[in-house]
Amino acid sequence: MTKIWNEAGFVADDPWVIETEDTSAGSNEKAILGLDAFLARVAETDETGLGVLIEPADDVRRLDGHLDRLALVALAFPAFSDGRAFSHASLLRSRLGFTGEVRAVGDVLIDQVPLMLRCGIDSFAVTNPTALKRLAENRLPGIANHYQPTARPATEAGSYSWRRRQTPAA
Amino acid sequence: MADKVLTANRLSDGISVWLDAAGNWNEQLQDAFVARHKEAVDALEATGKQAFADNKVVDVNVVDVEEVDGVLRPLRMRERIRAEGPSIAYAAGYAGLTATAQPVA
Amino acid sequence: MYRYDEFDHAFVAGRVEQFRDQVERRLSGELAEDAFKPLRLMNGVYLQLHAYMLRIAIPYGTLSARQMRMLAHIGRKYDRGYGHFTTRQNIQFNWPKLSEIPDALADLASVEMHALQTSGNCIRNVTADHFAGAAADEVADPRPYAEILRQWSSVHPEFSFLPRKFKIAVTGAERDRAAIQVHDIGLHLKKNDAGAIGFAVYVGGGQGRTPMVAKKIRDFLPEQDLLSYTTAIMRVYNLHGRRDNKYKARIKILVHETGAEELSRQVEAEFAELKNTELKLPEADIAAISAYFAPPELAARAEGWANLAEWKKADPAFAAWVRQNVQPHKHPDYGMVTISLKPIGGIPGDATSEQMEAVADIAEDYALDEIRVSHEQNLILPHVALADLEAVYRGLVAAGLATANAGLITDIIACPGLDYCALANARSIPVAQEISTRFGAPERQAEIGELKIKISGCINACGHHHVGHIGLLGVEKKGAELYQITLGGSGDENTSIGEIIGRGFEPEKVTDAIEVVVDTYLGLRLDPSETFLAAYRRVGPQPFKDALYGDKTAAAA
Repeated sequence: MTKIWNEAGFVADDPWVIETEDTSAGSNEKAILGLDAFLARVAETDETGLGVLIEPADDVRRLDGHLDRLALVALAFPAFSDGRAFSHASLLRSRLGFTGEVRAVGDVLIDQVPLMLRCGIDSFAVTNPTALKRLAENRLPGIANHYQPTARPATEAGSYSWRRRQTPAA
Repeated sequence: MADKVLTANRLSDGISVWLDAAGNWNEQLQDAFVARHKEAVDALEATGKQAFADNKVVDVNVVDVEEVDGVLRPLRMRERIRAEGPSIAYAAGYAGLTATAQPVA
Repeated sequence: MYRYDEFDHAFVAGRVEQFRDQVERRLSGELAEDAFKPLRLMNGVYLQLHAYMLRIAIPYGTLSARQMRMLAHIGRKYDRGYGHFTTRQNIQFNWPKLSEIPDALADLASVEMHALQTSGNCIRNVTADHFAGAAADEVADPRPYAEILRQWSSVHPEFSFLPRKFKIAVTGAERDRAAIQVHDIGLHLKKNDAGAIGFAVYVGGGQGRTPMVAKKIRDFLPEQDLLSYTTAIMRVYNLHGRRDNKYKARIKILVHETGAEELSRQVEAEFAELKNTELKLPEADIAAISAYFAPPELAARAEGWANLAEWKKADPAFAAWVRQNVQPHKHPDYGMVTISLKPIGGIPGDATSEQMEAVADIAEDYALDEIRVSHEQNLILPHVALADLEAVYRGLVAAGLATANAGLITDIIACPGLDYCALANARSIPVAQEISTRFGAPERQAEIGELKIKISGCINACGHHHVGHIGLLGVEKKGAELYQITLGGSGDENTSIGEIIGRGFEPEKVTDAIEVVVDTYLGLRLDPSETFLAAYRRVGPQPFKDALYGDKTAAAA
């Protein structure tokens, strides 16, 4: 069973569905389109509030110029060892300036969630039981002291220019 | 079909172990249960899978052995070294395995 | 050397607790092995043939006596009384229990050490010239930049799941003692014509299955752009490095398949976006980190000259050790001492806990408390007054660490090989021991001169055999060990990959084959000052092939 989590907690009634050959979004649901399908939709219609899925081999910069049409970018982690989406997230936030929802989908494990958050990912489609349990308890295994600036802003550490501290939750 | 034994490394301390006839993970290859026909090998593999799933051991493998004068000898050198330990003495000045055989306080 | 501040202490403590939690979840079964494995690798924990192995980071090979004593303690408390210094300036322990590793890490954290990122598909230990800060020929000390890179690369969220491991090396002299051209990124610290500090940047070097020499993609990168430029390279690699085949996943393959020019263009394009961001290094930060590496106060000790001459006359063994193991220092009254971890017939790179403590004592008393680990698996005391050399020597003799063979044929580099390593196909240590014993006589070694033998027990080349003057690669053929010989490799500023010269040799024939190679060299060298490497580069492989495989020889085959 897959649940959607963000830093405010688990999301009830998430409308997003990843469109595949077998699955399409129902009437109350919103489609997350493949990149080519999204670009075609953008060219052919005026629709906004769309969702797109970026696979590891995609060039996330192809979204440039179309961000105003997007509500959600889903980043695929087909295996947790495939780290390309960390760069996709970083570019999406810091280069393209996307401010909508960025969601990790696929092999999302608790130990990678803190890293994903720092790269600018803000919601997670979670299936792994341990991850679900730890997120429910709000027990994330991150380290508060950071040695590098990242796409998600963090607090200056009052030290060397590359250091940051995790910004405390509001 | 070559004779086979089931081997793995213990999860908690990583030490090489072999499954013995009593179903225990034994540090001595010579005490290993030897599977001589297909059904026994299948049973070994199933036991191995279960032990891995039960988080007792990691890196579970069925390996070929031969029995020479009652002594089990793995066919691959790698497995012989796993069974016998490094083929060299430890660093010069090392006091010998028995010197650290007791748990250190 | 660098000292942790509060931020560093808090980070390492957090990391230990994080790993302790991961180990507990693994032992309880809550965390499965395939999810745990990358996490334990990122903390330097391997599973080897006999047990786990813990690889502890020694950043750019620099440590203090206190830290060395802690390594001795780790060996005693958690292991079997000895450790192995590696070709990446780290140390490995071969018998730790997973359940005890968090405690070992807590002990290490108390002396500002850790095992972070010594394995896994992430940025590994940044290595540097083991004579940094002391060598007479140094332009600038590379270690401040290695320290900046070390910090910046620690738990970098974007670059923790790379296609494969990533190794960076930094050197600060024209002579490259850090083998930068066989690293994923090699940085050559230098000054431009205006006297500004920066780096020549090399990318895509590496050994292993497909050895390649790095390509220079930047002649001069100003120092303030170090982090932004490195980020650009890492991002291009993370996005485009191959993930379909483990053996083609290093950046060297990306450089080779994309072409150095195109890859450089991609890096420069990304760098252009990053150049003036928060990644730019302020001068004040570079200065602050550099201050940790300020040269130590070296008192004039001119009496050392006369003392040294007397001691050498009185003790030929001491004289031989000085001649071979002491190198010129920036300061005329000082020398750089190599502590050989290659006793004749011994295990290359291994030291007992007692030996580690002896080195710590000597470093504290005579070497300004500074020790280095070289990628050739020896220890270095970079600052020793000539006037103290005799005392240092006596201390080393008492600890079995005074073998006078630095850079000679018995100063062999060998990976742990099939005696320990789950990846190996053949043993390396017994081969090293036999070669060392065969050539152990001091006169023979002196006659042969500088000759670097490097032995790897598998294609992963952790023994760096590709850049050995003589390289040995152990393979498995029909269930038995076989050793391929390569000749003419070098990891210095004129990097070359050794050439395979013919079919391999069985274990019982390898040492004889090496003897044939050595005798061939002795027979054809112009004079004793022409080293093996120089002679090989002059004559090429043919004379050696003829000697080993031709009809004339009785030895080999």
